[in-house]
Amino acid sequence: MNDTLNITKGINALKEQIDAPTAAFFSSCVHCGLCAEACLFYTETNDPKYTPINKVEPLKRVWESEYTLFGRLKKALGLAKPVTDELLAEWEPLIYDGCTLCGRCSMVCPVGNDISTMIRKVREGMVASDHVPEGLVGASTRAVKIGSPMGIRLKALQAQIKHIERDTGLKIPIDVEGADYMALLSSMEIINFPEYIESLAKIFKQANVSWTLSSEAFEATNSGIQIGSSDIARELVQRIVDGAEKLKVKYVISPECGHAFTAIRWDGPNLIGKSYSFKVVHILELLDELQQSGRLKTQGMEDKKLTFHDPCQIVRKGGVEAQPRRLLSQVASQFVEMSDPGKMNWCCGGGGGVSANERADDVRLKAFNRKKSQLEEINVEVLVTACANCRLILEEGLEENNMDMPVVGLSELISEHLLEENAVEGERDE
Amino acid sequence: MNKKTLFESLQQQGITRRGFMKYCTALTSLMALPPSMIPMVANALETAKRPSVIWLSFQECTGCAESLLRSHSPTVEGLIFDHISLDYQHTLQVAAGDAAEHAREQAMKEHHGKYLVVVDGSIPLADPGYSTIAGISNLDMLNETIEGAAAVVAVGTCSAFGGLPQAAPNPTGAVSVSSLVKDKPVINVPGCPPIPTVITGVLAHYLTFGSIPELDNLGRPKVFYGQSIHDRCYRRPFYDKGLFAETFDDEGAKKGWCLYRLGCKGPMTYNACATLKWNQQTSWPVESGHGCLGCSEPNFWDAGSFYKALSIPDGDYAKAAGYAVAAGVAVGAAAGFANQKNKANAVSQHTKVTVDDFGENKDK
Repeated sequence: MNDTLNITKGINALKEQIDAPTAAFFSSCVHCGLCAEACLFYTETNDPKYTPINKVEPLKRVWESEYTLFGRLKKALGLAKPVTDELLAEWEPLIYDGCTLCGRCSMVCPVGNDISTMIRKVREGMVASDHVPEGLVGASTRAVKIGSPMGIRLKALQAQIKHIERDTGLKIPIDVEGADYMALLSSMEIINFPEYIESLAKIFKQANVSWTLSSEAFEATNSGIQIGSSDIARELVQRIVDGAEKLKVKYVISPECGHAFTAIRWDGPNLIGKSYSFKVVHILELLDELQQSGRLKTQGMEDKKLTFHDPCQIVRKGGVEAQPRRLLSQVASQFVEMSDPGKMNWCCGGGGGVSANERADDVRLKAFNRKKSQLEEINVEVLVTACANCRLILEEGLEENNMDMPVVGLSELISEHLLEENAVEGERDE
Repeated sequence: MNKKTLFESLQQQGITRRGFMKYCTALTSLMALPPSMIPMVANALETAKRPSVIWLSFQECTGCAESLLRSHSPTVEGLIFDHISLDYQHTLQVAAGDAAEHAREQAMKEHHGKYLVVVDGSIPLADPGYSTIAGISNLDMLNETIEGAAAVVAVGTCSAFGGLPQAAPNPTGAVSVSSLVKDKPVINVPGCPPIPTVITGVLAHYLTFGSIPELDNLGRPKVFYGQSIHDRCYRRPFYDKGLFAETFDDEGAKKGWCLYRLGCKGPMTYNACATLKWNQQTSWPVESGHGCLGCSEPNFWDAGSFYKALSIPDGDYAKAAGYAVAAGVAVGAAAGFANQKNKANAVSQHTKVTVDDFGENKDK
């Protein structure tokens, strides 16, 4: 019964997205331009079209002509600037290639406008009018049909698990009903960084955490959030909720992935319209809690000079800022901060679906110059982060710029420094 | 001694790079320039050689110099001011008599065409004998000094508009700088006294762009004198609600209501007091409980009593305002309902998006 996606549906979707906060944001924008300086796509290209508030122009036009008195008058007199298919086509690269939804613009807005949320709203209109990049359509389709944006099936996960179990001698629990924690994984972790799964197993064994993976809901990435379709996002969140309810877990652990955390922790309950029967924690929050309560013990210190790249969604939208620093202070003797650390950190350039969108590769590498200069300022040997997508983008950017520097996941770093059981006695003697 | 750049001087005073950049950012926004200009401002201030400044004091009370020079703690604004090369200022300089005048002549010769002249005080035309320095009349000294100047900054209402010396009956025949200087750019920085940040802002603008900022029709930099005190006053909401203090010790005054009826000249005064405030942003006249005197406007001294209200509206305006508010609320509510309906329509027309709907997937 669905006809093709078209401009009428696109405008209707934008109309649907406008709520009181959005109207207030548009009315209170003072055109100061501070958001431009906060956006790495603007600072690294110097192209004013990347000014965050400019990216929401289609939404602004709909708000003006549909929800304001003067706008309606102008529309009646034929003076309003209409939202056309051409406009949306022109804006598509700004919305998908030139924005990672990192939220830094929202932080600097002097009148408190949440610009990145508005850009997310524009994506709804883009989806409904079929102005979406090929890469994201592919990722969403695979996420819905196969179960993972990278097309990873359960079999691939089982194969990885088998490897890990053989290498470590540890059991990776799957579908254990009544476990306390259900861990989610991003497909990048399954394919590119299986060390993460291994780290979880080691850490949870030491800390005696009862956990499990779900064969029906192991994928954390929510491509619906990235492409900007609540309908698709809702379906993907529902899978996790069903999986967690089936296993009757108390907690769901969001992995080292940024948007996955935003999707399941913040957007999820609003999308499905009810509260969860479980709590969602980010892996860094859990590790910090385990360490604070003395269940997670580490030994030795990394003596290389290292820094931490805060994933935008985790630090800015998730508020997980102190935890990684407390964790690092236990395992790294030479931790230094980048400029603009914590909640004002600069995005890697590949979040919000940009990394899944090949068309954006050039501008993304340009945007990486910001991270490059941040790293050059402090001259570190190791870069630690807590997001598989950031990690991949950082590795690629470093390689492109001939910078030889390992990028490490924080959970992995912690697991490398776990206190070995038989060393406990020796520790006491010291 | 003029070899050091401004930034080096600041560094010696213990101002950090971060403090310096903060100052540049504040200054850039103060001057209403786009944020992309911050690096340019910083660069200009970093590399600028200290410009030579000759300060001429004519019929004045030294209040302007006090305002600008009194640095309670080493603020960057204060230091910027300290680190211009103030080659002549007869209140401050160590040299006296011939040596002092010699310093002025030397600065004029060495920096011909490049130095800035700051003037505070008005110039008496009735009889030059009213105010002389080293036997030279104010008029002669002004003409002589501005000859090789790049620009003239008239600091304070006396030099900008004539000020107190010009008040009726103007016994000395006092006139402003701009009425005498026609062939050089004159920047008026009025106020009795003016806000220190405003003069440093004008100097910084000059250092950055080598030009003077945009001026209003009274020759004042628009960035600082572009808005009225009234429009930026924190007591404005009380004015809008019709809540006024009637005496200086009534309930209204204690509650901080609008001082309009006590003669506040805020509505006709253009200055930056309400935003920049005074004494390191501690307070400003209206905040301390007294109406604005309008000191940055021409003829403020002769504009009637400081305590006479500008004008009081007749009739039962409170009632009228009440009706207007009620009508506004009704229109607002109607518009709100219309918008809600509009949105509800949009929601009901929503068709669920599935991945099969994408054109990309249909082609296959």
